[in-house]
Amino acid sequence: MKRVLKLHSIFIAQYLKRLMEYKVDFLIGATGILLSQFFQIVFIGIIFSQIPALQGWSYYEILFIYGFSLIPKGIDHLFFDNLWMVGYQIVRKGDFDKYLTRPINSLFYVIVEKFCVDALGELVMGIALLCVSIPHLSMPFYWYTIPLVLVALVFSTMIYTALKTVTAAISFWTKASGHITHMLYMTNDFSKYPVTIYNNFVRTFITYIIPFAFTAYYPACFFLTGENPLFNIGGTVIAGVVLLAIALFVWNKGVSAYESAGS
Amino acid sequence: MIYVKDLKKEFKKTIKEPGLKGSIKALFKPDKEIIKAVDGISFSVEKGEMLGFIGPNGAGKSTVIKMLTGILTPTSGICRINGQIPQENRKKYVKEIGVVFGQRTQLWWDLALRETYAVLKEIYEVPDDMYKKRMTFLNEVLELDSFITSPVRTLSLGQRMRADIAASLLHSPKVLFLDEPTIGLDVVVKDNIRNAIKKINEEDGTTVILTTHDLSDIELLCERIVMIDKGKKVFDGEISELKHNFGQMRTLRFELQKAADIDLLDYQKKFSATQDDIEIESDGALISVRFNSDAVSVEDMLSYTLSQVHVKDINVTDADIEDIIRRIYRREVSV
Repeated sequence: MKRVLKLHSIFIAQYLKRLMEYKVDFLIGATGILLSQFFQIVFIGIIFSQIPALQGWSYYEILFIYGFSLIPKGIDHLFFDNLWMVGYQIVRKGDFDKYLTRPINSLFYVIVEKFCVDALGELVMGIALLCVSIPHLSMPFYWYTIPLVLVALVFSTMIYTALKTVTAAISFWTKASGHITHMLYMTNDFSKYPVTIYNNFVRTFITYIIPFAFTAYYPACFFLTGENPLFNIGGTVIAGVVLLAIALFVWNKGVSAYESAGS
Repeated sequence: MIYVKDLKKEFKKTIKEPGLKGSIKALFKPDKEIIKAVDGISFSVEKGEMLGFIGPNGAGKSTVIKMLTGILTPTSGICRINGQIPQENRKKYVKEIGVVFGQRTQLWWDLALRETYAVLKEIYEVPDDMYKKRMTFLNEVLELDSFITSPVRTLSLGQRMRADIAASLLHSPKVLFLDEPTIGLDVVVKDNIRNAIKKINEEDGTTVILTTHDLSDIELLCERIVMIDKGKKVFDGEISELKHNFGQMRTLRFELQKAADIDLLDYQKKFSATQDDIEIESDGALISVRFNSDAVSVEDMLSYTLSQVHVKDINVTDADIEDIIRRIYRREVSV
């Protein structure tokens, strides 16, 4: 574990050095993400200027859920972004070879190689939304609220990363799976809003099938109301652990099915 | 050191009929075909040996190397290197080997070379003093000094190949796999790289397995070759043995004074030899006759030729390794 952290910090340091070389690229990337988040918030603002509440949820409650959803997404984006490339080209072009010739876990190597600072756009926006919304909400506060926030963030991030790992690993059989990851990723837009506004099908889908609702709505719901911690937080933990186990299993199966490419 | 027994690798391939219609059909009702990329190969390599692995394009060389390095999982068969099975405990195994793919770099595109080595040092857990010693040695052998501060993306192909080889040797591997290490390089750089490989093999006792299309690599570096074609082994032995076995092939070259005189020469009829034993090529007045000196002696060949026609110049040469291999690839010679 110590070695893992050491390697990770070396790669991040190298990445930051690289970043200094491509400053413009970073600025454009982070600004882009910040802008796209900003317009979504404006959109929510416009809706709430017309209606007082959305299925019983006030403007600030929605902002809180939205802000909360951005943080695990941002953490995943910051550290685990290279998984996208596995599905889009690393496997198809045979470049996965190099991840197998080093004495470190191939999944870890893929992940550690990229550090995506663009994600700061999401993280900054997420934290800003929480800061804006919290003073307007009367949230219950217990001694364990802060530890639970951390737990919820860790396991929500795990849900994102595990889903990305599974879909990336599909490429070991199909050669390319970037679009599958993309498609799945799109469904997380649902999780930025309270699941109670959706019909049964969507609600079941994002709770039990692709459990994105556990990355935002459920944990946020607990912090807003203090109700049902077992389901709201426990569900996030279970979903994270189960998906991670599946992800590791599929990844390892995939690596032994890897076919490389001609050279 | 390296023991390979009956190694096989099969790929499933979907057969598509041409055109969009074919693609759509393949989507719903795919016809699968099994391609045997490597079909039962066995060989072994001693410690400190340099083995040349050759074969035409698509023979399965890279597939074998990829199985030996743990990248691909064999369909069946055994490969054991240093007592370890590559796929079994990959992380432990790859610590003992070095791998270079001439066609694609394993270095990080944007990192300066020096940083790259620092990262690899951590990955392979090379102790500080060992690392210093190693870097000095590799610097001396591969002359990295002039570009060690440049990012990998700015290196020329020759520099990059040297950098890649150095990267694969940082942790003093016991076995070094080189897949086409001289591909696309100019003569001088090729020479440097060959010398470096030789030196590393001599000084560290590293076992080297090398695939190449450049037969001079093989002649200069390896004593032994394994030749494969269509996934099967067609020759395994010393280069001298190959030359000895097929070395009875000689080439008689001469220039006719009158090009039309060629009609006067009928070797096949004169020596009642088969197409396999005598083969004639002509380019205007320049004639070359490849013949088996076991079937027709050099003396008979010369005296018959000189009695029939007037020549400007004449010589007889031994078959070179390239010629032998060309003939084996074309299945003119069975091994």
